Amino acid sequence: MAILKINGENKIFEKVPSTMKALLEFLNVDDATVVAEVNGQIIPRGSFHNTILQDGHNVELIRFVGGG
Amino acid sequence: MAKLSSEQFEAMLIERHGLSAHNKLKSATIGIGGLGGLGSNVAISLARIGIGKLVIADFDIVEPSNLNRQQYFIEQLGQNKVNALTENLTKINPYIKIEGYQVKLKPDNIPEIFTGCCIIAECFDKPDQKQMLVETVLNSMKNVKIVAVSGIGGFGRSNEIKTRKISDRLTLIGDDKSGIESGFSLMAPRVAIAAGHQANVIVEMILEK
Repeated sequence: MAILKINGENKIFEKVPSTMKALLEFLNVDDATVVAEVNGQIIPRGSFHNTILQDGHNVELIRFVGGG
Repeated sequence: MAKLSSEQFEAMLIERHGLSAHNKLKSATIGIGGLGGLGSNVAISLARIGIGKLVIADFDIVEPSNLNRQQYFIEQLGQNKVNALTENLTKINPYIKIEGYQVKLKPDNIPEIFTGCCIIAECFDKPDQKQMLVETVLNSMKNVKIVAVSGIGGFGRSNEIKTRKISDRLTLIGDDKSGIESGFSLMAPRVAIAAGHQANVIVEMILEK
């Protein structure tokens, strides 16, 4: 078991999704609409696939829906 | 046509806002990315209160479908939004400085276009464009704040539109869910509420700095 803090809430995983891209797939979120931070560092969308997530990481996901 | 000299206009603003607030607003440069329902409303609020300079950017022209919520006029149909909005802002505040860019904003032109802005308002329509602007500003413009919007479709539920400070440099406005992709249509009142949140938090950032 492992924990990721996502948008301020602790989420328990059997196994933490290995990368940011895997996490977004797990959450069923289109990565083109997400700004992501890990431990306060902005992660460019182009690096989601090689951003490794580990137990205890603090993840902030800002998801955009259309309209302006 | 009635006229106000720049001295008279400024005296009016100082009487309303106080000298110290006026000077802070006057020395601010604010960027606006996207001049639709959000951007046109944000720009008008900021021009009215005497923001010194706006940098406005949009590649698009004024279309009939814009008129249910965007601050343009029927006679401006077909005109590019940068020129149409500049014209409208100048009627409200002839002394505001406006730098307009009729371009599609991209990661490689955003830092240059918005050079000198202390805060940028994200006012796009499409979610991937919102993502791109916010990511670019947070990633490549170190001391610049961004005020972004997500979830403004439909009507009613006024109080579900919130202003949330996500981090020192990112503030997010909206209800997080009412997107056009979920079937919500965009209407003037709720879009204007969100634009009001945007302009209002920008003023707060300027005056409490």
